[in-house]
Amino acid sequence: MREVPGRNRRLESAISILLLLVLVIIGLGVFAKQFDVDMGRFGINATDTGLPSQQIQPERQDQSVLETLMPEGFKTLSEAESYNSDNLYEKINGKAPLYIDSGFVKLFTRRFISTEDESLWMEIFVYDMAAVRNAFAVYSQQKRADVVMCGILDPQYAYKTGNALYFIRDQYYIELIGSAETEKLFNSMLEIAKDMKGRLAVDKVTEISELSLFPPDNIVAGSSKLYLKNAFGFEGFTEIFTCRFKISDEPITAFLSECSDPRDAQTTAESYYNFLIDNDAQAKTTANQILKEVGAKVLDFYGTTEIIFSAGKYVGGIHEAEDRKAAEDLAARFLERLSEGAKAIEQ
Amino acid sequence: MTGQNDKKYERRQFLGRVGKAGISIAAAGLISYKLYDRQGPNTGADAESLVTLPDFSIPEKPGQAMSIVKGAERKTTVNKAIELLGGIERFVKPGETVAIKPNVAFASSPMLGATANPELVAEVVRLCYKAGARQVIVTDNPINDPASCFTLSGIGRAAGQAGAKVILPKDSLFRYTTLEGGMLIRNWPVFFGPFEKADKLIGISPIKDHARAGASMSIKNWYGLLGGRRNVFHQDINTIIAELSMMVRPTLVILDGTEVMVTNGPTGGSVSDLRRANTLIASCDMIAADACGCGLLDLKVSDLPYLSIAEKAGAGTTDYESLKPILATAG
Amino acid sequence: MIMKIVTVRRISQFFFFLLFAWFCIVSTVGEEFRQIRGWPVNWFLQLDPLVAIATALTTHTLYWPLLWALAVVVLTIIFGRFFCGWMCPFGTLHQFVGYLGNRKKKTAQKIKLNKYRKAQCIKYFILIFFLFMAAFPSLAATLQTGLLDPIPLVTRSFNLMLLPVIDRGVSLVSVTARFYEGAWLIFAIFLTAVLLNLVIPRFYCRFICPLGALFGILGRFAVWRIGKKQNKCVDCKLCEKSCEGGCEPSGNIRISECVLCFNCREDCKKDELIAYQPVPSLAGEITNPDVSRRGFVLSLAGGIFAVPAVRLGNELGSNWYHIIIRPPGALPEEEFLKRCIKCGQCMRVCPTNIIQPGGIAGGLENLWTPVLNYRIGTSGCQLNCVACGQLCPTSAIRSITLAEKLGEGDFADAGPIKMGTAFFDRNRCLPWAMDKPCIVCEENCPVSPKAIYTQECLNTVRDGILTVKQVTDNMIEVEQVLVPGKFAGGDYYCLLPGGDLRKIAANTENSLEFSPNERLEENLAAGNKIEVQVRLQRPFVDIEKCIGCGVCEHECPVSGKKAIRISAVGETRSADRRLLLKSG
Repeated sequence: MREVPGRNRRLESAISILLLLVLVIIGLGVFAKQFDVDMGRFGINATDTGLPSQQIQPERQDQSVLETLMPEGFKTLSEAESYNSDNLYEKINGKAPLYIDSGFVKLFTRRFISTEDESLWMEIFVYDMAAVRNAFAVYSQQKRADVVMCGILDPQYAYKTGNALYFIRDQYYIELIGSAETEKLFNSMLEIAKDMKGRLAVDKVTEISELSLFPPDNIVAGSSKLYLKNAFGFEGFTEIFTCRFKISDEPITAFLSECSDPRDAQTTAESYYNFLIDNDAQAKTTANQILKEVGAKVLDFYGTTEIIFSAGKYVGGIHEAEDRKAAEDLAARFLERLSEGAKAIEQ
Repeated sequence: MTGQNDKKYERRQFLGRVGKAGISIAAAGLISYKLYDRQGPNTGADAESLVTLPDFSIPEKPGQAMSIVKGAERKTTVNKAIELLGGIERFVKPGETVAIKPNVAFASSPMLGATANPELVAEVVRLCYKAGARQVIVTDNPINDPASCFTLSGIGRAAGQAGAKVILPKDSLFRYTTLEGGMLIRNWPVFFGPFEKADKLIGISPIKDHARAGASMSIKNWYGLLGGRRNVFHQDINTIIAELSMMVRPTLVILDGTEVMVTNGPTGGSVSDLRRANTLIASCDMIAADACGCGLLDLKVSDLPYLSIAEKAGAGTTDYESLKPILATAG
Repeated sequence: MIMKIVTVRRISQFFFFLLFAWFCIVSTVGEEFRQIRGWPVNWFLQLDPLVAIATALTTHTLYWPLLWALAVVVLTIIFGRFFCGWMCPFGTLHQFVGYLGNRKKKTAQKIKLNKYRKAQCIKYFILIFFLFMAAFPSLAATLQTGLLDPIPLVTRSFNLMLLPVIDRGVSLVSVTARFYEGAWLIFAIFLTAVLLNLVIPRFYCRFICPLGALFGILGRFAVWRIGKKQNKCVDCKLCEKSCEGGCEPSGNIRISECVLCFNCREDCKKDELIAYQPVPSLAGEITNPDVSRRGFVLSLAGGIFAVPAVRLGNELGSNWYHIIIRPPGALPEEEFLKRCIKCGQCMRVCPTNIIQPGGIAGGLENLWTPVLNYRIGTSGCQLNCVACGQLCPTSAIRSITLAEKLGEGDFADAGPIKMGTAFFDRNRCLPWAMDKPCIVCEENCPVSPKAIYTQECLNTVRDGILTVKQVTDNMIEVEQVLVPGKFAGGDYYCLLPGGDLRKIAANTENSLEFSPNERLEENLAAGNKIEVQVRLQRPFVDIEKCIGCGVCEHECPVSGKKAIRISAVGETRSADRRLLLKSG
């Protein structure tokens, strides 16, 4: 185009370039904005472990009980630490998945050392598992072999090993791990545990109702366990309680789970039954009248007996029992107790 | 010289423009600031626009809480009934605005007893003016078409002739309310306009059998204050009637049992549905009034669950005898 | 190096047009670069002052993202209608088509096309009409600017019409084809607007655009404006050869029509004659829009009167149209209509393509507002999706969290958001009317516990009463002729004379077969009557649990008119459309 003299092209060019710059800035701004990704607002990435207690958790603002704890004869050895599900690995490494899959919320830890004997120290772990069942699940699944029940300690469920004390109180699972197997240290831990029991902020202590539904005779004390998911390798099994019974030489494991309604219990029982059949279990008939009445299924699974029944909104049975007869007897007793329990609840 | 003037003119123009632009920008900025909404809208009605019906009740006077007058002439019995409770002067003070809410639910002839008796309404209006009321309003939110109801029931004409102002319902007179402690009346439209400026509230209703509720008497009369799709409350009729007794606190209720609709309520339709009982009840406690009135339908307090619910909520007593009602005969 | 202002203007138009198109393309939920990520796809709508001002009128608030519009307003007050000439994507399109259509014409013809026409005042009447429809929310107000506001209009046209058609071939934006009901009307309007540029360039901008009218009013006191600097003009009118606004720069320039294209300055053969200057044009300028008082009053009155007139059908009251199901998070209807600008963003982003532009059934105001159609698209409203509200620029659909939609956490007391309730059409439902087993609806119901439950019943099938001929091991031979395999599905049972029921495993032409485990009664003799019964699970809706998500309607195999259909009654957003009493 012709250069037209007289027109203030210089000013025009300057302004034009300025405006181009504005466009570039806008372009860069838009480009930068698109990095600000928050897919959560679209409802995506809602982490779903299938455990209702974890999904939407209100922020727990409570001060860790460990920050204010000052046991007699001890002083703090380290700062109070806390971990959430992102960095739990840093503290307990490979054990983390067990907690995270069970509804873990937060872990508080602290070390205390004896003021008299420096070789005696302990570390206290307080796991906030969001619900008493979750706490019970991680508590029961880690029960050590050399279990000694702690009846003298009043919290809900507790046991001790040589150097450690384990208990749960509502949604908290607490471990006190001592540096040595001395009685002195242990007594101190006991006192601390009793003290903590009072300090842990719980609205009310919830009982786990299923545990009382197991027949009390022959039960091996403290053998109850809770599997939150995939119990016995079966994906449809959630929240299964198991208990061991000593009837014949070999212990027998009974299991129980509470479903939302009788229909759900029946469906779960049928699914587990089909699962076993698909895995080459053989259905067997039983002579036991009580089992026949409720339509319980008895199966032979590679030489062990499996019994499945549903009663009201409970599904239960026997798992991997060696002695068929004993298993059937136990199952029958279990059923009787369940129907009594159901009546009691109705009243 | 002109060059300089031109320049001056140009500069003035320019500054003028800049000034106007500046003012516009400032105005735009100010409006944006005033209206700026960081939150976005919420659902439902604003909490600030919820209203509460005023408490129209007057101080109790033991022994003058309830009166039961027997007689065939409504004009006579209502005068006597109010006189026994201390006279109209106890209830209406000079210069006050009185709202009267009769049962005008249906476009039904007055002789069928489905609506309040027009002469009774007119008499009460006259009494209020006698006591020196500045204005008496007669109003209701009927089930049938409002204009037809007021006309065919005769209440419109009777009230107007007695000097009252008849107010028909329209949208602008409804406001949202939530009853404290209520389960059903939450964020619900209520007929509020006529009562907003009133000083006293009087309810006038006949005694009727009601297929769903058991009976329709002085408490059920206030159902007319509910707006919106109020039929939905029939699913829980006893709770809603009880909540009405909590929401409305009138000065006085007049329960007209001169002719009682004993069957086919609440609409009736035939004179044979009525039975003469020649009783008129005036009461400061509408639960007691209903508890007394239900006897005329051969019902007991236990037949009307809403009475017990209301009593438990503290809105009155079902033991009307304890109020020592004054009995009399008139005409 | 010279950079002409018109060059920058063209670059700017191109840039914003591409940006706009890009925003339309990426409005898909996802994290990839070509999906929504953090792209500010609503920016053009937020910049639009007509959206901000109109919603400020109807709601008496300025929703915070619309603060961008304030910047545009301020710049317009200072510089004039730069938005029309430099940014508006619709304007760019019109300008381009006008250029293409008219470039071969002679100069004299072009000048004639660009002369000012009195009809250019129509857009002001349209603006006033819309603004007064919105002006009195306490009486009755409705937001209808979205019908002709160019930014929502072009957004609608791109997202609901152009993109789905183009993408049908390349499948870049969506894997499955996207559908939009009534898009033919959007197409017709878009095409008409674009083609009218062949008659007069920038037809829409000059005669119809209410946003342009708004800018014309705002730009009245523009500090800088186009005008003649000197007295050298010879009236050649070359400046109007490419004048985009139709503002007559050759004489008394009409400032409110000028869109700052700067073509006049470029085309003028004299130096320093036409300039962008802070003083009035030497040839005179007209700042006010060409609106007569009579016209103003008529539009005003029309706008105020139109709202109650349009609402005489009482579609906001008892005559509400039950098939208008709004997306989750939508405000109650009257509030909704005060905010919806019919931009179609919610329809664009909905992953299952069920948000559709509404028609005029149920009221004129329903046009192009989001309505759920569960038969279209790939699924019902997905349980864990809240995409629509995230994109609504005016919060007609609130941006709710998943917790609020599902009624969890802080919202557990309020319960989940219900869009409506499902109703069975028992005359069409297979197990109810046709004796055919089916529980697809129950299986697909996504809430837990399910909102559809079934009750079992056994019905004797047609011609199901059979006469026993002979009984062997696990077979009953019958006298009647059967369709082989008809009863083999696992849903059929045989009612024996004693009242017992046995499951039928298979059947041949003349016998029923049972599984080895089923014990047939020994005393089943020839001549006995047995009945073949079908086990039906008849579904019911639990209206306390149903959230109206429409998955059942979508999956129901009875095509066309589904045997289960959602109706908006029971929606939680409206207090007066409840089905049940709320308990507590």
